Amino acid sequence: MTGDEKQRMLELFDNKRADKYPRETYDVIGKRGVRRTDGYEKASGAAKYTVDVQLPGMLYGRFLTSPHPHAEIVSMDTSAAEKLPGVRCVLRYDDPELQNEESLGGHELNSVMPLPRVAYFQGEEVGAFAVADSEAIAEDALRLIKVEWKQRPFVLDVEKAQEPGAPLSNPENNPESNMDTRGIYMEGHGDVAKGFAEADKILEFKYTFGLNTWAGPERPCGVWRWNGEFAEVWVKQQRPHICKRAISTWFGGLAMNKIDVHCLYQGASFGGWSQMAWNLGGTYCAAVVAKRVNRPVKWLFNRREDFYGSNMDAGVFYIKVGAKLDGTITAVEERGVVVNQAMPVFGIAKHFLENTRVHHVHGRTEAVWVNKGPTVPTRCEQNSNCYSLDLVTNRVAEALGLDPVEVALKNDGAEGHDIDWLNERKAELGFPVTDSLRVCVEKGKAAIGWDEKRHPAGAKKLPNGKMHGLGFTWTHEWDDSAGTSEIGMYVERNDGTVTIFGCRGDGGQNAETAYCQIAADELGFRMEDVRFKHQDDAGFFTMTPDTSTNLSVNGWATRHAARMLRQKLLEAAIAPRGVTQLTSFPPAFPGKRAEELDIKDGVIFEKANPANRMTVADFVGPSGAQGPLMSPVGEPILAGKEGLDYPIRFTPPMFEHGWQVQRGTYLGVRLRFCRQAHFMEVEVDPETGEVDVIKVVTVNDVGKVINWDGCEGQAYGGAIMGVGRGRTEEVVYDQRTGIMLNGNLLNYKIPTLMDVGEVETILVESGMGYGPYGTVGIGEDVATVVPALISPAVHNAIGTWVEGFPITPDRVLKALGKA
Amino acid sequence: MNMAIVEEKRTVSEQAIDLEVNGEAHRLSVQPQWTLLHVLQEKLGLTGTKEFCGEGACGACTVIMDGRPVLSCMMLAIECSGKTIETVEGIAKANHPLIEAYIKHSCMQCGFCTPGFVVTAKALLDRNPNPTVDEIKEAMVGNLCRCGTYPAHIKAIQEAAAVLKVTAPTGGARP
Repeated sequence: MTGDEKQRMLELFDNKRADKYPRETYDVIGKRGVRRTDGYEKASGAAKYTVDVQLPGMLYGRFLTSPHPHAEIVSMDTSAAEKLPGVRCVLRYDDPELQNEESLGGHELNSVMPLPRVAYFQGEEVGAFAVADSEAIAEDALRLIKVEWKQRPFVLDVEKAQEPGAPLSNPENNPESNMDTRGIYMEGHGDVAKGFAEADKILEFKYTFGLNTWAGPERPCGVWRWNGEFAEVWVKQQRPHICKRAISTWFGGLAMNKIDVHCLYQGASFGGWSQMAWNLGGTYCAAVVAKRVNRPVKWLFNRREDFYGSNMDAGVFYIKVGAKLDGTITAVEERGVVVNQAMPVFGIAKHFLENTRVHHVHGRTEAVWVNKGPTVPTRCEQNSNCYSLDLVTNRVAEALGLDPVEVALKNDGAEGHDIDWLNERKAELGFPVTDSLRVCVEKGKAAIGWDEKRHPAGAKKLPNGKMHGLGFTWTHEWDDSAGTSEIGMYVERNDGTVTIFGCRGDGGQNAETAYCQIAADELGFRMEDVRFKHQDDAGFFTMTPDTSTNLSVNGWATRHAARMLRQKLLEAAIAPRGVTQLTSFPPAFPGKRAEELDIKDGVIFEKANPANRMTVADFVGPSGAQGPLMSPVGEPILAGKEGLDYPIRFTPPMFEHGWQVQRGTYLGVRLRFCRQAHFMEVEVDPETGEVDVIKVVTVNDVGKVINWDGCEGQAYGGAIMGVGRGRTEEVVYDQRTGIMLNGNLLNYKIPTLMDVGEVETILVESGMGYGPYGTVGIGEDVATVVPALISPAVHNAIGTWVEGFPITPDRVLKALGKA
Repeated sequence: MNMAIVEEKRTVSEQAIDLEVNGEAHRLSVQPQWTLLHVLQEKLGLTGTKEFCGEGACGACTVIMDGRPVLSCMMLAIECSGKTIETVEGIAKANHPLIEAYIKHSCMQCGFCTPGFVVTAKALLDRNPNPTVDEIKEAMVGNLCRCGTYPAHIKAIQEAAAVLKVTAPTGGARP
């Protein structure tokens, strides 16, 4: 084992300080124009997604869904469906093999019924799973199933659900009331009563946050094939290793080494579907049927069915904030009631704790269950957190006649301490000291023209009759999660290219390219010679893209593996090779020490004499080589003939593995140093209430850019998704029937190319991230922070706050007293 | 739906159609309710053509039919007999400069919608070799990308147009 690098790797576990061993120079990392590794596949249509999988003899499975928002199956007749030609199996809720709760996925493993009898929302998969020769036949079979439903009372509204005597939305899980007592989360520091006593001004307001959803382009689906006793599974999942862990518990226990998982490209679901407690329900049912009919089974949702899951921060929020006249916030007290959280809540006041100097903060988050679909992190669960910080900053500024940028700067800090205290911590932990927010806002203000264009709220009417507005918001950057990662790395025989092993779901962030950049730089190989083979399970549990931790966990593991592999190559290059019973062969670089050698562009060479060189390809040699033919006493035979030149390449396999263990900031163990600030310019039509987003400026301190296309893509892509979530996207239910009204892309409006004006993305590299080389995550940030930006921009335009979210034309007109 | 209706639907006989797809002739037996998208994916294995919305709202299933971009999820295959179809696979096989421009400008994130964009852009450049930014926006507005890659597409299409201008014999559109 290569001692030094392994020791360093262990030292960097549980990293709560700056990268101690960054590189002095970068060749590929941070270079612009690095060709993305998935580019040709995705542009040419060659990229395969789970929904594209076609196997010989494959059948198609579809679920029955509930037509009612709350109902139980009394009886079910599937005989007609079973007789339909082309139907191979109809699995029923009362099937003897489906009577136990199974581990069916989620953020962690959850045990739920694979095919339940009771539906808690309209559209829920219940009762039956029809498997047929085609998806269309399976659909027809579902229509032939006769169900006797017993409808139950239902409740949809978050505030009505809290009232005494409200219909119980889920009496099996919450028999007393709709409040989930296990879901209460309290957080805070200081004494808010003291803080309010210190305030010159106290504001109280309420806001509601609507349901929006991921609308991932690939439908939820999965494929199961039994190969004898081996299970082969295709998962549409950003968490393949969690899937495999769950699958290993099924059917009395499947050995991990008998499960082959494929995680192809993902038609993204932005967390979303992958976090659902039942997300492997389809795969489980497919596995049961596949065993019975001895054919592979693909299960699929239709487009509408994907819409029932949504963001976990929908709800109602009550905020009280105290501030001094200079904009110093003295106390924040917040209560949030969120809807249908299928995961533990993380707290609603978290950004005030982690991101401000406010001494007195108290947050209480409660969960209420209504008869709508499950909610999970969608891009990120921090929408309401960001919105709270956004509204507090901007409402305090408005109330005191201050610039919200100044209010943000005045209250920037962490854990109740000011920025000077935070800067001391940066230095103590070995980070470069940058006032990140100040850098971000200066760049952003210049790009949007803040000082020139800013005006009092409701004061600027444009010649086109629309009202002009500017908005600002801010928060910290995040790479939140605790995570572990294992990465394998192998130099291929014959050509010396490198394969990185580690099964992970690709969400499109271009992370694989970034890992290859890290490996190329650290190994001294050409970028084009490195491939991350991420779609097939090789036994390595690689961190998922969740919580923006792609690079900050896997990046470390990749770097550790690459550094150890490089050291192994150099040590092998100076050691005798091909030690056999007969003889050994001289080192590739005889008489040299490892530190006298280097690797660049896939060539090992002597630093003092670069002409003394050998390509890595020559060094590792061909696969299947038997070495030179030898006589029984170790003499080369066929001397002078072809055999003598047979390469002497008995190098051991050049393989290494790195890993990383990381505690997350959710546990409060890491201070947040990097900041982001965003600006928006809007025009609001006071007659129609329509909001035109003219320009968005995103400024993100990403610590260090590994891959520019990836970072910028997350920023402008996030801004566009964020504008959609803030402006048009809301899943709407009919209050009378409990039926979802807009589960399709015609009526649920995600942004088109013409719906968002110019997006300018600015990246700041302060080096203050906890990831390798000082990186910090960016995948979730912008799409989660930007929705909140619309509210202050529209306020600045029309001079009044719009109630409700997203900021749709009807809500704008209501705020204007016109509706 | 009752059994009789389902049975009637299922017993309608298949019909033969002729399709030229990416320059290759195919004779296919199709059921009347099959979409062109279904036939491309399931019968010809051309899975680059994608279904996102499934109802003509997103452009992911766009193919070029007789020179015009059409939504293959909204076309019945049985109506397409005798037509010439170009899919993303054909565009890539012909080394159209859009492919390399799309990679260079990182127009894809999850990539699911990307083929539809490439096909729509190819149809645009076929009829308008020098599109303005507004013309590009107008042509591409029917393609939805959930990852928000839109700004990159405009750059890539402009670049592909510039490459075509250099390589095309007359400086005009390719056939």
